[in-house]
Amino acid sequence: MESEFAIETQELTKVYRSRWSGREVRAIDSISLQVRRGVIFGLLGPNGAGKTTFVKALLSAVRPTLGTALIFGRDAREPSARRPIGYLPENHRFPTYFSGAGMLDFYAALSGVDAAGRKKLIPEQLDLVGLSDWAGVRIGKYSKGMLQRLGLAQALIHSPSILILDEPTDGVDPVGRRQIREILTRCEERGVTIFVNSHLLAEVETLCGEVAILHKGKVALSGKMRDLTAGKGYRLTVAQPPEALAGELRNRASSMAVRDGLIDFQFASRESVNAAVDLLRAERCEIEALTPTTSTLEDVFVRTVENKDVVVKSGSNK
Amino acid sequence: MITIALIRDTFREALARKIFWVLFGLSTLMILFFLFILRIDIVAGATATVAIFGRETRGNPDIDRVVRGVYGAIATFLYTWGMFLAVFASAGLVPSVLEPGRIELLLSKPLSRTHILLGRFIGNVLVVSLNTTYLVLGVWTILGVKTGIWSPGFLIAIATTTFIFAVLLAVVVLIGVTIESAAAATMITVALMIISPILAQTSLMMRLLSSEWSRNVWRTLYYVFPKVYEIGKMTLDAIQSRTFAGFMPLWTSAVFGAAMLGAALAIFHRRDF
Repeated sequence: MESEFAIETQELTKVYRSRWSGREVRAIDSISLQVRRGVIFGLLGPNGAGKTTFVKALLSAVRPTLGTALIFGRDAREPSARRPIGYLPENHRFPTYFSGAGMLDFYAALSGVDAAGRKKLIPEQLDLVGLSDWAGVRIGKYSKGMLQRLGLAQALIHSPSILILDEPTDGVDPVGRRQIREILTRCEERGVTIFVNSHLLAEVETLCGEVAILHKGKVALSGKMRDLTAGKGYRLTVAQPPEALAGELRNRASSMAVRDGLIDFQFASRESVNAAVDLLRAERCEIEALTPTTSTLEDVFVRTVENKDVVVKSGSNK
Repeated sequence: MITIALIRDTFREALARKIFWVLFGLSTLMILFFLFILRIDIVAGATATVAIFGRETRGNPDIDRVVRGVYGAIATFLYTWGMFLAVFASAGLVPSVLEPGRIELLLSKPLSRTHILLGRFIGNVLVVSLNTTYLVLGVWTILGVKTGIWSPGFLIAIATTTFIFAVLLAVVVLIGVTIESAAAATMITVALMIISPILAQTSLMMRLLSSEWSRNVWRTLYYVFPKVYEIGKMTLDAIQSRTFAGFMPLWTSAVFGAAMLGAALAIFHRRDF
């Protein structure tokens, strides 16, 4: 049976060990994350949070130390499991001996598009990203923004079911950014799952329906954008509720974060937080705080990553 | 289709490097030399005159000997300068594909790591074999037409040059995936070429070395390392229609190359990018 998730990781962990000193660095630590089909999902985090390692583990460019990464239910290490992926790397280095059309031809062939398909698709993709006039020009002459748009065309050329984009608008001017956003929105309308790794919070907020924030190699926060950034919401802080109750609250909350032995549940409405309070009091659990919240994604991000002692735990992204 | 795309990519990258054009240019110059500069007049099946730059040689040289001499000189050129240039030009082809921002994109495609590395390897071997074929076939055809002598022995140079290049390229690939240094790959591979004629003096060294231990070390090194020198000598023997001792240099070199390529694949599979 096909998985309902485009991306699913289970306890995904990558530990880098220094060959000489034996020192270990946990780049990502037991990340369990699910990205539903057809959504635009944003992955956020400060520098060194493990975002790039996570993306590379999805693509099998990095071999996980523990755990699994699944693409539509199939192990990402199997080459054929990566067939539905279109990928645009950060700091890409496309070979400069290619022309724009030549580069698309090469990567489309590697993605399994036959010669007739490539002949038809290459002009279409170049037109889509506004590079038709540059088709025959060597990409060594392209500006950074043009390379980024060409990279996006490369990721789209084999009609992928999932797009993994690492800083997709990096170096692109405002007009180009809007163009890229429009292309991605059209992809979403066609049911393509889009996974965006970006540090541009405003852009992620505009584009993504769901996000996860990585911090110190773990998922510090995840949830639907509208819940996380709700104009009006409530944060319920609880000290160590029973496990079953914590699970119930996690299901009802729009997001959850663990810090200093306390759990923050974010609720979108007064009714839902009152119901949660009733549940807690029925179990005689202590409520540490109940705070109304109004947030932008930046607020959520800063609050999450500036909590220095955060003991993070995989959050729900349901 | 994917394999062809990878091989074509290696071709494109090779042709974007000036050094491959230098190789091609040298081959073309040599072909043009035999086409326009060397004049051989044959009368009644024997050489009447052989002229270079319009100057005729004295006497009446044996045309068969002249042709075989030319073949031997070209095979030696291919084996020394040609091989060195080919290794030098190829050394950067593996590190370049492993550059951050390029390798991740390749790995995201539905192809195995073995596919990626072998695509590079085969593409590189094909580039060099095409150049070798161009030079050898070109000269062979021109001399054949001019002299009427069609000595097939010279064509063996295509196979032996390509073979020993493939063996040396396996070393280049191993160093490429291990430390990603074109300079180190060139140095180590050229060192293997240089050490080969020295190691080939086995019978002399067995007499000179005093201890059994050192003789065993020498023998081990001799059998393990590729026999660049001996395969070159086999090529010359084939051109001169001389017999050669056996095929040991070929199969031991093939084993060495296969081991290097196997190690490169194993390391490439385990690496994080």
